[in-house]
This record gives sequence, structure tokens and C-alpha cells, in this order.
Amino acid sequence: MIYFEKVSKIYKQAEGGTSEALKNVTLHLKPGEFVIAVGESGAGKSTLIKLINREIKPDKGKIFVGGLDYEALKKRDIPYLRRKIGVVFQDYKLLPKKTVFENVGYALEVAGVKTKEIKERVPKILELVGLTPKTNCFPRELSGGERQRVAIARALVHQPRILIADEPTGNLDPKTSWGIVEILRRINEMGTTIIMTSHDSHIVNKLKKRVIRLSDGKIVKDDQMGRYDS
Amino acid sequence: MHTFIRMVKSGFSSFVRNGWLSVASITVMVLTLLTLSIFFILNIVLNTGIKAIQDKIDISVYFKEDVKQTMIINIQNELSHMSEVKAIKYISKEEALVRFKEQNKDNPKLLESISELDNTLPASLEIKVYDPNKLDQITTALERDKYKDAVLKISYKENKQIIEKLFKATDLTRQIGIIITIAFTLVSLIIIFNTVRIAIFARMEEIEIMKLVGATPGFIKGPFLIEGLLYGVIATIISMIVLSSVLYFAAPAIANYIGDMGDSIANFLRDNIVQVLAIQLGVGITIGVFSSWLAIRKHLRFS
Repeated sequence: MIYFEKVSKIYKQAEGGTSEALKNVTLHLKPGEFVIAVGESGAGKSTLIKLINREIKPDKGKIFVGGLDYEALKKRDIPYLRRKIGVVFQDYKLLPKKTVFENVGYALEVAGVKTKEIKERVPKILELVGLTPKTNCFPRELSGGERQRVAIARALVHQPRILIADEPTGNLDPKTSWGIVEILRRINEMGTTIIMTSHDSHIVNKLKKRVIRLSDGKIVKDDQMGRYDS
Repeated sequence: MHTFIRMVKSGFSSFVRNGWLSVASITVMVLTLLTLSIFFILNIVLNTGIKAIQDKIDISVYFKEDVKQTMIINIQNELSHMSEVKAIKYISKEEALVRFKEQNKDNPKLLESISELDNTLPASLEIKVYDPNKLDQITTALERDKYKDAVLKISYKENKQIIEKLFKATDLTRQIGIIITIAFTLVSLIIIFNTVRIAIFARMEEIEIMKLVGATPGFIKGPFLIEGLLYGVIATIISMIVLSSVLYFAAPAIANYIGDMGDSIANFLRDNIVQVLAIQLGVGITIGVFSSWLAIRKHLRFS
């Protein structure tokens, strides 16, 4: 489903130097897998996520997602790629001037889905994440956990085969965090491949999924049924 | 089609939800349109004024005492065949006296100096031309041998210097008007472009999010362009209301001040309301859409 082959990413720094965020990373995710990437800040987790969403390009190596070679991907095809991948951001990235319904519906609007269909699909997905009562609220009226659930609903509404989540629980209290993870787990059980980054040892240990530990831009551990500190 | 409707809806709703920025953009645009319209109308007034003055520029050819009326009528007929001549009127000695009396009715002393029995006023031909620059050709024709003995004097020759100065002055005024109008349009364009740019800058995060959830540049751009279009339409409506009410209430005052011309401005607006509206709408929409397009263009590129 997702395949990284000897991928390196080097960032130029303001003072003129460079920092290597990923070094020669090779990684393979099978369809339907739930993978958690862990590691210290700056280990390269977010770079991994951004590469999959094609927010950035690798400096070396090849990336294939859903059989698509990113090297051959043209700029104008990027929007179409992103409609196939659902992304949940740590800072939610909701449109502040749109309601919950509109935010979720927007992901369908951009893909040219008919209004009638949007009106059918959005309430269903809002029900899945438990946000039906907040349908007509604006993001500023929601708590952090609720905003994150809106972001998940938006990432899922076009039924992507891959969901990537960058620290989806990063800004939330433990109880709310577990609620979010529960939703992700249910989605994974329905067949969606999930790759998520996390700092939260408690969540990682409780989930008992495949854990990749990144350190200094390299994969130092890759365990099925992994633990945060294993 | 439903994508287009979606863009229009989204444009309208973000127009409303971005209240203050919309108000700011529209205010600048109203000022621009008003300035443009005022210059446009001033230009019309100037042209009307010049035309009125040009209409009044004519040549009077005065004939000597002994020239017979039939001779003058002959000259009139010949001159009327010239292509430059617009109208030609014979003023007999008697008519000249009537006019003189009318013009000087408040001056009895001057009137005493002249009477029907002792009419020293010459008969004349009043010639109007299409293009005042061609007056020279008429005078040249009159100075030919054939007429030379009959002509007492040609008024134009005396007024020539004044007339030429007037021409120079009106040309200069018109040129300055055009330059100021162009300069003002440019300044307004820059101001509105910057207003929209600030508006878009404030929403850069939104644009970034739209890109991240798979919107194409065209889909993101649409609502912004519709917003620009709305600025143009609303600014036009406001500016038309302001302009018509100012002219409606100010017209009598202007008329007092500059005579017929004030009325003619009000009449002009009334007669050409569709045209003025179309110009304003055209300029407003162009500026609104163009500056939105210009301001958003560079934020839509994918790296």
C-alpha cells in the first residue's frame, strides 16, 4: 500500500547548514495495516507523513502509494492524489469560516460530489465520530477533542484507503485521546490502512499494533505488536 | 455546473463572513469609482464647454457702405458652397441696428448717437464653421481680389490671437484631465490590489488547508474571484447612489454658478444613466476580479 525505498529528506536551514530528517529509509505498509511511528521530536515522524501526502518531495529514493510512483506525479495531479488519502493533522487544520458540516463536506465538494450526496454522506460520518449535535457549529465553538473528530470525519468522508494521522492526540487529554484512537481503530477494522505518529506511550502500548521507532532519521526498530518502550 | 454554483455560493458566504475586509475593499472601490466618474463627467463638461465656445466662434464679414445687397447675397451663395461652412447668415443694416439697440438698451447715450435715419452700421455676413481650425481658409477666400473691394473688415482677424490662445488653453486642460484620470486609475488599482492581498494574506492558512484536502487551484480561486466580482457590483451600486444624489441636490447650485452647464451635467447623467452605470460596473468588476486574481495567483502553486 505504501512503499518507501531508500528515501532521504534533507532540509536547508536558515543559517545555511542542512539537516537530514530522513536517512535512507525503507518501509513497507501492507493494505489494512495500522502502523504507529514513534520517536523523539525531530526524529523524522512528521517528515514521513508529509512525504506521503506529497507536501514535500524526497531528495533521494522512491515513494509508491497505492501503486502510484510519486516521481512520475505531476504537480497538477497532486489535488487528485490527496483526495485518495485522508489526512488528520495535529493542529486539525479546519476552515475557521466554515461550520462542522461544511468543513467535512468541503472534502467532497472539491472532488465534485453532488450536493445531494454530500447531504447524505456527511451526517453519517459525523454520527460515526459522535458529532451529530455539533453539525452547525463553527470550529471556534468546539473543544480540542471535538475539532480533532471533525478533522477525522473530513479525512474519512471520501472513503480513502489510506488514512494518515500526524499526532492526532498530541493536544488532547488522555480520556479524549483514547476516544480518538478508538475511532481510528474502528476505521482500521473496516479496512482502511492507517499510519499514525504518536508521542503517547500509554496509547501505543494499549493499541498493540505495529510500531516503527524512528531515531535521528533512521528506522531503529520495527515490531509487529510493538510497545512504545520496547 | 454544480461546481460553478458551489463556487458562487461559497463566494457569497465568505463575502458575508469576512464582513470588515469586504467593507474595506468596497469602500476603496467606491472611492475609485466616484473619482473616475467625476473625472469622466468633468471631461464631458469640459468638452461641452469647449463645444459651446467653438460654436460661438464665428466670422463676421462687414461690408462697405456702397456694396449692394444683391452683391452680398451672391457672396453668401458662393461661400455657402465651401465645405468648411456650416451656416451663413445675412445681417442687413436694419437688422444690425435692431441688434445694436437690443444690446445697448441700458445705455441711452449710445443709442442717441445712432438712429434709423442715420444708420452707420454696416451690413454683414455671419459665418459659422464646422471646425474652428479652418477659419483661416474662409478668411483667405474673402481676401481674394473678387471680394477685396467690397469687404470693410473681417472680425476674425482681430480676434485671431484670442481664439488661438483659447484653443491652446482648452487643449492643455483636456490633456491634464486625461493624465490625472490615468494616474488616479492606477493609484486605485494598486490600493485595491493591496486591500485584496491583505484579505487573502489573512486567509492564507485557509488556502493552505484547501490545498491539503485536495482542492484544485481553480476550485480555490473561484470563490475569491466571485468575491472580487461582488465588491465590484456593490461598489457600483453605492457609487451610483452617491453620484446621483449629489448631482440631484447639487445641480441647482451648480446651475447658479456656471449657468446652463450645471443643468447639462444633470441632464447628461439622466440621459446616459445606462452608459455611466455600464462604465462603472465594467471598471468595478474588472478591478475587483483582476486584483483578486492577481493577489491569489501565487498562493495557489504546488511545490
